[in-house]
Amino acid sequence: MKVKIDGKEVEVEPGTTLLSAAEKVGIEIPRLCVIPGLYEGSSCRVCLVKTPAGRLFPACNYRVYRDEEFVSNSLDLWEMRRVNFELILKFHRIECWQCYRKGQCSLATLSKELMVEGIPVCSECPLSPSECLLQKGILCLGMITQSGCRAECLFSGGECWGCRGPISRRDLIERAFEHYIELGYDVKAVISKAEIFWNSLSELKIVKEAADRVVDRE
Amino acid sequence: MSCWSLLDRCCEKCSCTLNNPCSNFIDCRITGPLCHDDEQCRELRTRRFEELRYGETGSKIRVPIASCTLATGSEAVYNAIREAVGKMRLKVTVTITGCHGLDFIDPWVEFTAKDMPTAIYGNVKPGDVPKLIEDYFIKRDVSKAFVLRDRKGTAAGEDKVPLLEELDFWRKQYKWVSRNCGFVNPESLEEYIANGGYKGLSRALKEGPERVIDEILRSGLRGRGGAGFPTGIKWRIARQQSATPKYVVANADEGDPGAFMNRLLAESDPFRIVEGLTIAGYTVGASQGYIFVRAEKPLMARRFQIAVEEARRHGLLGKNILNSGFDFDIEVILSAGAFVCGEETAMLAAIEGKRAWPRQRPPYPAERGLWNKPTVINNVETLAHAATIMAEGANKFTEVGTEKTKGTKMFCVTGSVQRVGAYEVPVGTSIRCLVEELAGGAMGNCKIKAVQIGGPSGGCIPANLLDLPIDYETLQSAGAIMGSGGIVVISDENCMVDVAKFFLTFTSAESCGKCVPCRVGLRVMWNILNKITNGEGSEEDIDTLRQLAETVRTSSLCALGGTAPNPVLSTLRYFMDEYKAHIKDRVCPAYVCSALIKYRINEESCIACRQCALNCPVNAIFRVEESGKYRIDEKACISCGVCFTVCPVKAISKVSASG
Ligand SMILES: Cc1cc2nc3c(=O)[nH]c(=O)nc-3n(C[C@H](O)[C@H](O)[C@H](O)COP(=O)(O)O)c2cc1C
Ligand code: SF4
Ligand code: SF4
Ligand code: SF4
Ligand code: SF4
Ligand code: FES
Ligand code: FES
Repeated sequence: MKVKIDGKEVEVEPGTTLLSAAEKVGIEIPRLCVIPGLYEGSSCRVCLVKTPAGRLFPACNYRVYRDEEFVSNSLDLWEMRRVNFELILKFHRIECWQCYRKGQCSLATLSKELMVEGIPVCSECPLSPSECLLQKGILCLGMITQSGCRAECLFSGGECWGCRGPISRRDLIERAFEHYIELGYDVKAVISKAEIFWNSLSELKIVKEAADRVVDRE
Repeated sequence: MSCWSLLDRCCEKCSCTLNNPCSNFIDCRITGPLCHDDEQCRELRTRRFEELRYGETGSKIRVPIASCTLATGSEAVYNAIREAVGKMRLKVTVTITGCHGLDFIDPWVEFTAKDMPTAIYGNVKPGDVPKLIEDYFIKRDVSKAFVLRDRKGTAAGEDKVPLLEELDFWRKQYKWVSRNCGFVNPESLEEYIANGGYKGLSRALKEGPERVIDEILRSGLRGRGGAGFPTGIKWRIARQQSATPKYVVANADEGDPGAFMNRLLAESDPFRIVEGLTIAGYTVGASQGYIFVRAEKPLMARRFQIAVEEARRHGLLGKNILNSGFDFDIEVILSAGAFVCGEETAMLAAIEGKRAWPRQRPPYPAERGLWNKPTVINNVETLAHAATIMAEGANKFTEVGTEKTKGTKMFCVTGSVQRVGAYEVPVGTSIRCLVEELAGGAMGNCKIKAVQIGGPSGGCIPANLLDLPIDYETLQSAGAIMGSGGIVVISDENCMVDVAKFFLTFTSAESCGKCVPCRVGLRVMWNILNKITNGEGSEEDIDTLRQLAETVRTSSLCALGGTAPNPVLSTLRYFMDEYKAHIKDRVCPAYVCSALIKYRINEESCIACRQCALNCPVNAIFRVEESGKYRIDEKACISCGVCFTVCPVKAISKVSASG
């Protein structure tokens, strides 16, 4: 069988999945739900590829039995993968600071690959949950700061100052504030630390509102 | 009077038995005897045909026993008729039949006698029965009938009652698969054969599988279950597979709200489907068939069960069917009852005893289906078409229809129309013809605003496009689908955003949850629609909605997710002004969305009857001392609308909450 993916041809055994065919020619197709040989139910839909005629198939599940051609790299495919991935994150309780995967998970990895925002700096923080600076009375903004800096400040021994701006999901910000309060921090102190970098950002309002709502509820 | 049935041997010379079946059995019963010539045997048949038509006594009453007529009380009517006939010592045969699909006259009954015109009475109540029987059988007066099926000039009042085929809702139909519905006893194999049944199988067995495929291909038959895949091609692919055993499955899992043509067909003429499935089995080389029936339609399942047992008892299922060497049997399986069970791969999983989850195709079931073996899945209407095509010939079938889709399709028209019912029309008939001429147009004083075609995952076609012909391609380009043939008429009393939300409520609840776009995407879309109907929508919501709808439509695993966004996409396309009104002006133009309307009492028309105040659940209505009339406290009102419905003089009106 000859499969052509993004113009690269590869010879494979009949029954090979597109995912492994693509790997053979060095094409990385994003994936999430597949565990080859164990789960190939094609649920997450982030590995979609298309035929030249535009029909979509999940690469993890599609098996090749004849010579065929596929496209794995196009703007609309990336857009679709991104929307589907965002849908997965939408109902995920992202609390990396106390998650024992601590960012070593496919969600955090894929979110970078697909450029989806919403996962906080804690996912990149080198400290284990028990070593979290917040436990030691150091006010760290990691929980509400957008990741992507590879937690430079944490790696160099300091705390997060929020230089990359707040994460976009309001519900996560609210949860973070609940956690701050739980650990005995003053909401006002958190806000004034955030204001250092976020003063000129319109999102600051959203953060403040979230904080107000949490305080109201408490 | 005789007790001989068409299925019995006519005399000693007939050699047909279960162990030694005759290949000409079917033709012999209709035009025979074929292997011997005997005046008496021929007469036996002629007499029996007459008996089947007019009853052994020369007079017959048919009462429809199908889910739709049972719901309106046909069982009580049936019992009342049996009682009256018995008490009046009349020699009248009373039998059951299926349903015509004319739901607006349910429950109906049909009276017939050799020397009288056949009369159909509509909306019969058990109390009317004695009078009707007396009028017809004793006074020979048919003036109270709803329609007549023929005129004989022998009864009083005949000229006052129209003939069935003169009426629009009948004349404009083309009864092809539903020809027997409401006319034969659905539990009687004999009546089915007497009306041309099993001619198709008989012919197929004589001509061989290749000729069957040719005939079906020539007829251009396309699947009636939704996608419109050419049936002949599906059968040929399955036939060409080398793996064995093969299977055939009839999909009777009709689960769309508002669609009941499959149920009607199966309850009224189940043998046609059993015959079609047998032909399919023979053609692809299967020896086992399954009928997958929705468990919530128990009568349909029972009729299938009876049909299968009867066919088996008379050698039309089992070993060496009609001496052709072909062995075939059918098992009726009750579905798990979710909408998604009708999706073919989910259905296969259910039959295998697994959870009814769809799986990604390819491989297609025709290559690898049940237990990984080649499997043909067809809608029950498709199978009934196939049986009829084999009996009547492809040429007859192709007389109607369009270039790309031949033949007829059954549609169910429901919603705000005068004559809710199931109608069979040629493919390519205009939506207007179906909705206005057959179903009688909008109910009451309403106007038709749109029609939702294709069930919960179809699309809303606006009233100005009603002249579009109904076929797969036209509907697709207009943003709807043929689906199984459900048509819901939406009047100007409905809000289109609310309608889209309604259908999404169904599909998002019925999502099996296996794939992300469908499980999460539909839920998020529903949330946005909910926000808009609550008057909290924003401009960006429209873009988000559109993007989500596109992603869900194109990237879902099965067609449930693949079609579920259609109501949203089509209303965005045709009714953007209503979305805009909700978002920009915070107004629901149809006064449906309760968050956007207020109720107000017009003191001029109020007659101070106090009904509204008594019924208001939150005591929001008080009496105004000066005038003695009533008024609503807008702060306390929860917009439930109870006062609006109870006011006897319609003094209460809906107004926009923002205005
Ligand atoms: C969610 C869903 C529900 C379906 N329900 C039915 C159904 O109730 N009856 C049916 O015949 N086909 C149904 N189908 C279509 C079947 O998957 C399949 O296409 C059809 O049975 C094939 O038969 P045909 O070629 O005769 O149309 C459904 C499809 C989907 C995606
Ligand atoms: S580390 Fe990964 S799994 Fe854990 S909360 Fe963060 S994103 Fe979720
Ligand atoms: S130290 Fe800061 S970045 Fe690390 S887990 Fe704690 S809050 Fe998050
Ligand atoms: S301050 Fe900026 S760079 Fe440093 S950890 Fe926080 S977000 Fe990253
Ligand atoms: S709409 Fe309902 S709550 Fe409001 S006044 Fe009428 S009955 Fe009372
Ligand atoms: S990896 Fe999830 S669908 Fe392919
Ligand atoms: S319902 Fe089709 S896969 Fe989700």
